[in-house]
Amino acid sequence: MMFSFPDEVLEHVFSFIQSDKDRNSVSMVCKSWYEIERWCRRKVFVGNCYSVSPRMVIRRFPEFRSIELKGKPHFADFNLVPDGWGGYVFPWIAEMAGAFPWLEEIKLKRMVVTDESLELIAKSFKNFKVLVLSSCEGFSTDGLAAIAASCKNLKELDLRDCEVDDLSGHWLSHFPDTVSLVSLNISCLGSDEVSFSALERLVGRCTNLRTLRLNRAVPLDKIANILRRAPHLVEFGTGTYAADLRPDVYSDLAGAFSSCKELKSLSGFWDLVPAYLPAIYPACSKLTSLNLSYATIQSPDLIKLLSQCPNLQRLLVLDYIEDSGLEALASTCKDLQELRVFPSDPFGAEPNVSLTERGLVAVSSGCPKLQSVLYFCRRMSNEALVTIAKNCPNFTRFRLCIIEPRTADYLTLEPLDVGFGAIVQYCKDLQRLSLSGLLTDRVFEYIGTYAKKLEMLSVAFAGDSDLGLHHVLSGCESLRKLEIRDCPFGDKALLANAAKLDTMRSLWMSSCAVSFGACKLLGQKMPRLNVEVIDERGPPDSRPESCPVDKLYIYRTVAGPRFDMPPFVWTMEDDPSLQLS
Amino acid sequence: MSEVDMAVTKPEMMKSYIWLQTADGSIQQVEQEVAMFCPMICHEVIQKGLGSSKNYAISLPQRVNPAMLSLILDYCRFHQVPGRSNKERKSFDEKFIRMDTKRLCELTSAADSLQLKPLVDLTSRALARIIEGKSPEEIREIFHLPDDLTEEEKLEPLKNTTDDPRIRLLNRLYAKKRKELKERQKLKNVEVEEERVDDRSVDDLLSFINGDGGDSKGIKTSKSKKKNRRRKDQQKSTSTNEAIKNHNKELNGLNSVCCSVEIGQKSWSGVGASSNLHDVEDDIFASKNELDDGEIDDEIDPALKEKIDREVEDFARRLNSDWPERMQEILSFGHERKPVHFSLNGNGSLRRYASM
Repeated sequence: MMFSFPDEVLEHVFSFIQSDKDRNSVSMVCKSWYEIERWCRRKVFVGNCYSVSPRMVIRRFPEFRSIELKGKPHFADFNLVPDGWGGYVFPWIAEMAGAFPWLEEIKLKRMVVTDESLELIAKSFKNFKVLVLSSCEGFSTDGLAAIAASCKNLKELDLRDCEVDDLSGHWLSHFPDTVSLVSLNISCLGSDEVSFSALERLVGRCTNLRTLRLNRAVPLDKIANILRRAPHLVEFGTGTYAADLRPDVYSDLAGAFSSCKELKSLSGFWDLVPAYLPAIYPACSKLTSLNLSYATIQSPDLIKLLSQCPNLQRLLVLDYIEDSGLEALASTCKDLQELRVFPSDPFGAEPNVSLTERGLVAVSSGCPKLQSVLYFCRRMSNEALVTIAKNCPNFTRFRLCIIEPRTADYLTLEPLDVGFGAIVQYCKDLQRLSLSGLLTDRVFEYIGTYAKKLEMLSVAFAGDSDLGLHHVLSGCESLRKLEIRDCPFGDKALLANAAKLDTMRSLWMSSCAVSFGACKLLGQKMPRLNVEVIDERGPPDSRPESCPVDKLYIYRTVAGPRFDMPPFVWTMEDDPSLQLS
Repeated sequence: MSEVDMAVTKPEMMKSYIWLQTADGSIQQVEQEVAMFCPMICHEVIQKGLGSSKNYAISLPQRVNPAMLSLILDYCRFHQVPGRSNKERKSFDEKFIRMDTKRLCELTSAADSLQLKPLVDLTSRALARIIEGKSPEEIREIFHLPDDLTEEEKLEPLKNTTDDPRIRLLNRLYAKKRKELKERQKLKNVEVEEERVDDRSVDDLLSFINGDGGDSKGIKTSKSKKKNRRRKDQQKSTSTNEAIKNHNKELNGLNSVCCSVEIGQKSWSGVGASSNLHDVEDDIFASKNELDDGEIDDEIDPALKEKIDREVEDFARRLNSDWPERMQEILSFGHERKPVHFSLNGNGSLRRYASM
């Protein structure tokens, strides 16, 4: 017995369901729900831009207003994906430009965006409001100027971690007088040229500005003026936070920070000098997020600062904080949910700071709400990991990066299998895990057995044999993204678990032992996968089939093989009857 | 306890009542201020003057059965009192909404038919919370819905069909080309070029059409412009426009030369379907039979064929250029124009359109 609703009622119910996962579930319930849902989906998320064609998306969702696309695989952040691999957004923009003049939001991650694309956006979408480019590249401030000039309704322009050809600061002057930005993040712009007057004027007339992240070129003595023009800022990123100490500049700055009563998040702080740090103290008690990953200050100053921030939920900091700083953090910031500790000198042979596993253990013990960790350090022990796991069963993201590959437990000299095993066993809601240190196939057995909610796994320099990979592919039910480098995983596990790949977004394997023959076979047998072999040494078939490929990127798709590949990328053929042999 | 009883026992209250009739025939009277909280009832009273007596009871929509009416009236009775604080109202709502899913569905539907928006919102949100976090199977179970999507539809519900006869022809030519190359491989044993041709099927095809009648200089020019392909895309995009214009011209000319039967005089840039190179693959399987019909041989002049062979070999070598990238640009550039204006030739193409 089915209860029947009028379609509008069902649509109204769906309007309260916004997450992509849930919308996808709703659309898969039955034919009528599928139809209703597709007409009222307003936000589309495509986790891999090559998994579907823009045309298909537009056909299926005729009324969306917002699209989010991701391009290159995550390991591109570590320079493992050669330049020119792909991830071009232009075809998407071109397709949407014709069909969707009412598009309002575009959010891109790790894609190649050209000035041409930006100009097309500016020209085609009259009600364009939000542009978020995260880790994108390929464009210049000329493209930004086009956006600024034409998008009269622009509310958000966020260029986080992009590589922008910063040709001139003049693009800021292209914003019309009527624009009312809510969010502006230009922290990635590299040139020293900033038009301060244009910036100040812009900030002054955007009365609804809530997020402003400046770039390094904005000097400390300009901050006060800018802050005074935006007293309702909630999120603020400074430029260079260094200058010779001058009392007038200092008091100006302190006054400006106190007048921003709604500040919750601070970032920037390039080249931070401790002398000016107390200027932000008035804002500290309300701070929930602090990004000091460019601030090269030492532990004592950090401790003093953190003692002012009891409501901190999110902290990004360099390892200058040391174990002592983390212990102080653990006692002051009881609401901490996310911690990221970055290495100040990752390539140095010897540790330059006293940051060990002790710091992380302290935080895990003192901060009961801790959920997300990214921690770079040089030593770890199974004992510490077990303690951490027991302290924080609520972890959703745990990424541990022991800087030197294959580092054993420093106390027992054993592999860290048991430690990570404890993490997956106790943290039942773990969604993302990055492994490091000396690890055998054992750790993968634990992961396959316990990590049932794990969606993303990053592995480097670990494991002994195909068994390791087999455990993960056969055991991790929720696995969507798997990225592996420099591990002795070969053909067997991959071919035996080929069907699993259809249920995942993507698999990346570089410097492993997967042969070209296996790649070809996989490509033949799995029509819904694109099996890409990336090899800058030359065509893989100029070597024996048993030869391992350099890099392998496999992803599921309904759009078939792509045709925008550079010469060092080959997609394996789908159908055996088309093989030329 | 019904309102009627109250009215009888306390005549001195002098309340006004509205008479309501549910679909099952039963009639009841409800305090006016409570009933009027429902826009639909309000409308019936004011616009049509109904509800003042038993004989002129307002007929409620079918979706409002007595049980649902009772619930709705409870809701109205509470909320129509003006003095209540937001906190009180919220607290009432939270308790009110606790019921099994079946009743919740009925209530949503009933509230909607009475146009009682606040209650529709409340119940809709509650239903949304029930749906959130569940798998399609679980949702189907809860709402007793049929599992009527096919496996194919679950994967990609809007099946991708090739709606362009040009693509089909290209596929046939492609398949033929592959056969030829296979022969050549046996003779010459040139493996490298073949591998390239394999992966770039449509590119290859378009290139031989291109290189054939068009200006092969065009290709060379754009190649030299993009010699340094590792430089920023910014530079590439300017030369891309140039390349697109060149190629569109060349392709137009060629279409009328070798593909007159299927394609006619339309410009290549009008093809919206070309983005779906997936279509191309699809169609290869579909048109395998057509390979043998000999039609293709009739269309390609042998001298042209020679030239094509040479071009392909030459082009396979030059595939070290950025051709694939530009191809994508070209193909996507064509999408700006909708395929609606494209007129259909022959039954084959019509059938494909109909299946969309």
